[in-house]
Amino acid sequence: MASATQTPPAPAEATSPIARALKDELGEGVLKVEEFRGDLAVTVSPQGWVRAATALKTLPELDFKLFLDLCAVDHLDDEGRPERFEVVLHVYSLSGKHHVRLKAALPEREPRLPTLTGVYRGANWFEREAWDLYGIVFEGHPNLTRILTHQDFVGHPMRKDYPTAQRHVLHEPQRWLLPVPAGSEHVVVNIGPSHPAMHGTFRVQALMDGETIVDAAAEIGYMHRNFEKMSEVRSYWQIIPYTDRLNYCSSFMNGHGWALAVEKLMGIHAPPRAEAVRVILSEFSRIMDHFVCIGTNVVDLGAITPFFYLFRVREEIYDLLEACCGARLTVSYVRIGGLAQDVPPDFSDRCRRLVESVRKYTDETDRLLTRNVIFARRFKDVGALGADEALDWGWVGPCLRGSGVPYDIRKDHPYSGYDQYDFDVPVGTVGDCYDRYLVRLEEIRQSLRIVEQAVARLPGGPVIVDDKRVALPPKAQVYSNIEALMNHFKLVYEGILAPAGEVYGYTEAANRELGYYIVSDGRKYPRRVKVRPPSFNIYQPYPEMIKGHLLADAVAIIGGLNIIAGELDR
Amino acid sequence: MGILDIFRGKLTDPTACAGVHAGGDIVTTTVDAVVRWGRKSSIWPMPFGTACCAIEFMAMTASHYDIARFGAEVLRFSPRQADLMFVAGTIVDKEGPVLKTIYDQMPDPKWVVSMGVCASSGGFYRSYHVMQGIDEIIPVDVYVPGCPPSPESLIAAVMKIQERITKGEQAKRPQGEHRLGAPGDGAIDRRYRRAFWAKDDAERARQGLPPRGVVPLRVLPTGPDSESHHG
Ligand code: SF4
Repeated sequence: MASATQTPPAPAEATSPIARALKDELGEGVLKVEEFRGDLAVTVSPQGWVRAATALKTLPELDFKLFLDLCAVDHLDDEGRPERFEVVLHVYSLSGKHHVRLKAALPEREPRLPTLTGVYRGANWFEREAWDLYGIVFEGHPNLTRILTHQDFVGHPMRKDYPTAQRHVLHEPQRWLLPVPAGSEHVVVNIGPSHPAMHGTFRVQALMDGETIVDAAAEIGYMHRNFEKMSEVRSYWQIIPYTDRLNYCSSFMNGHGWALAVEKLMGIHAPPRAEAVRVILSEFSRIMDHFVCIGTNVVDLGAITPFFYLFRVREEIYDLLEACCGARLTVSYVRIGGLAQDVPPDFSDRCRRLVESVRKYTDETDRLLTRNVIFARRFKDVGALGADEALDWGWVGPCLRGSGVPYDIRKDHPYSGYDQYDFDVPVGTVGDCYDRYLVRLEEIRQSLRIVEQAVARLPGGPVIVDDKRVALPPKAQVYSNIEALMNHFKLVYEGILAPAGEVYGYTEAANRELGYYIVSDGRKYPRRVKVRPPSFNIYQPYPEMIKGHLLADAVAIIGGLNIIAGELDR
Repeated sequence: MGILDIFRGKLTDPTACAGVHAGGDIVTTTVDAVVRWGRKSSIWPMPFGTACCAIEFMAMTASHYDIARFGAEVLRFSPRQADLMFVAGTIVDKEGPVLKTIYDQMPDPKWVVSMGVCASSGGFYRSYHVMQGIDEIIPVDVYVPGCPPSPESLIAAVMKIQERITKGEQAKRPQGEHRLGAPGDGAIDRRYRRAFWAKDDAERARQGLPPRGVVPLRVLPTGPDSESHHG
């Protein structure tokens, strides 16, 4: 177990070349440079905000091209801070393999900041979200309107002084998303939410010229169920079930990511057996996720058979999860520092059998689809997005790899022992729907390789750390010795008390980088939890992507992007 | 076996389809009974799937659980062709009017299954944007608990609906109309409560009163006459 001693206040300015380069560029504009648990955070003055972001993106030695996340934090009642709000930007450099966090503090009265949409296109929706939830005004933003809550909502719900459950009723939905030119002969088609051609709760309005889409706009928020607000009134443990419901096609991976982020904050590591089991179940979850994506995508195109094939084997994966923790979909199996309980004794055999059957069904699907003429015609050269653009929008995961960028967190920043396993990262060449499909199919095969290796050398030992700050003592001890009883009581009653600090924990989830930005002030509940919602970045350029395509292609594209409402709207 | 055997009670519950066997090939029954019997065995469900529950709903319709065994496999994604709506997943306030519109578009008679705790009561999302139960806006016939409910319990819900169809029962009004827009538990934040108490205490202190809730202890007088008590 690693020691959890507080990292000494490192002279980060001196050591980090990134901070030095920013200092050179902005001079006095850089107010503070901190490093905590390996995360570099630079605070700049609001005036230097855009310049700092531009420097991060354009300076060749920095090269922070990949936009990850932008969010606001409310520091109400935090005596140590002169300003109430903070806006936080996360970006990543592919060449330097480094994350950086850029922050600017804003006053309680009229919090204003210039927009970053000119620097990173992906910032658009994130700034709207920060306005919607926190009331921070981004000057120069092209369309600063509510995005997650509805238009009759009053107030900014993520502010600390907004009561958690204060609702406002919406009676009339927003009718028009698009400006329709007067006297235009074009027809407006409203697709969704809950539309035969749409997945779940997305809404797109398209202006049609015959069969071709001339203009399109998307609206989201139809599944905004406030994961982040709920997290602020839950302890670190209690958040685990909520994470399951972010990307519910691969619940286990969300919990895995959350546990890793909190472990990073606490400075602990799960024991090797727990890590290996986490890897195995994560890879199976990735497979499930890709299955749902491919299966429902082809259902949209009119082919139902692969769906039945894929759901058949999904059931078998469910059986494995059920044997481990008793739940099929929403597993809640991880704990901070390990797993809830050990796997069943026949775990390895089950996994081996499962690998066989997944392989069989994958090959079958491959044969059904890959060379199928109708399928290929519907998919090839549809919805192509180049690598640079994809980075600008903040795409990561299979979609980015489909566009030809070989960035995979499991390879570039290995966690949970991924560096011990031998696997390849498939990439596409064109970045169209077909490439994304092929990448997913190949990833299933690579996941199977990882599972095989992990099962072959599954280590023994405990599945949760022996650390009384995070792990409940064994039940037998609780009943027999007073110290264990006390620890049990304290942990249940007080929860996990993480040290004060901020971390950004990130993992390669099934459909791209899933990050958790946690701000802790040392109390039972986190002060702020921000999910870097993978689908949010991916869905944002969707209206742009479908312009000029046929309406039928729009359906093919959205299925291939694998947008999950649970994490899109949180 | 001829079609009439069905009414002779061989396939259906005779009490549900009241029929009198008049001898030979003739059965007398009511039109209602025949229609209900037909309806019950050919439900056309419409999935209103929004969240995690929709995945389990898909599992129920797919090959392993196979809802076709109950005659309800013809999923319609258009409300105009459906008579049973499965609300699978969290419904947030923004989605409310959409759900209502789609429900209104379904032709009568229609039934609604509220799948999962989110649809039934808001589930563990007691928060600012989540409807605390879809019965605030639409009538619900069967609530299925679980987060998510297992496909088995969904199948049980379909059978319950079949029961209701044979009995001719149908929910008519949104059961939770009166709660529309009410905040979930926890609306009254502890912070608010504490601030309120602090103000109240200060106010009472100014009037020379103890804080509310403090039980004033009566001190028994000690003196000669109290002694007599024990005397
Ligand atoms: S009841 Fe549970 S599984 Fe169903 S939508 Fe709600 S959170 Fe998801």
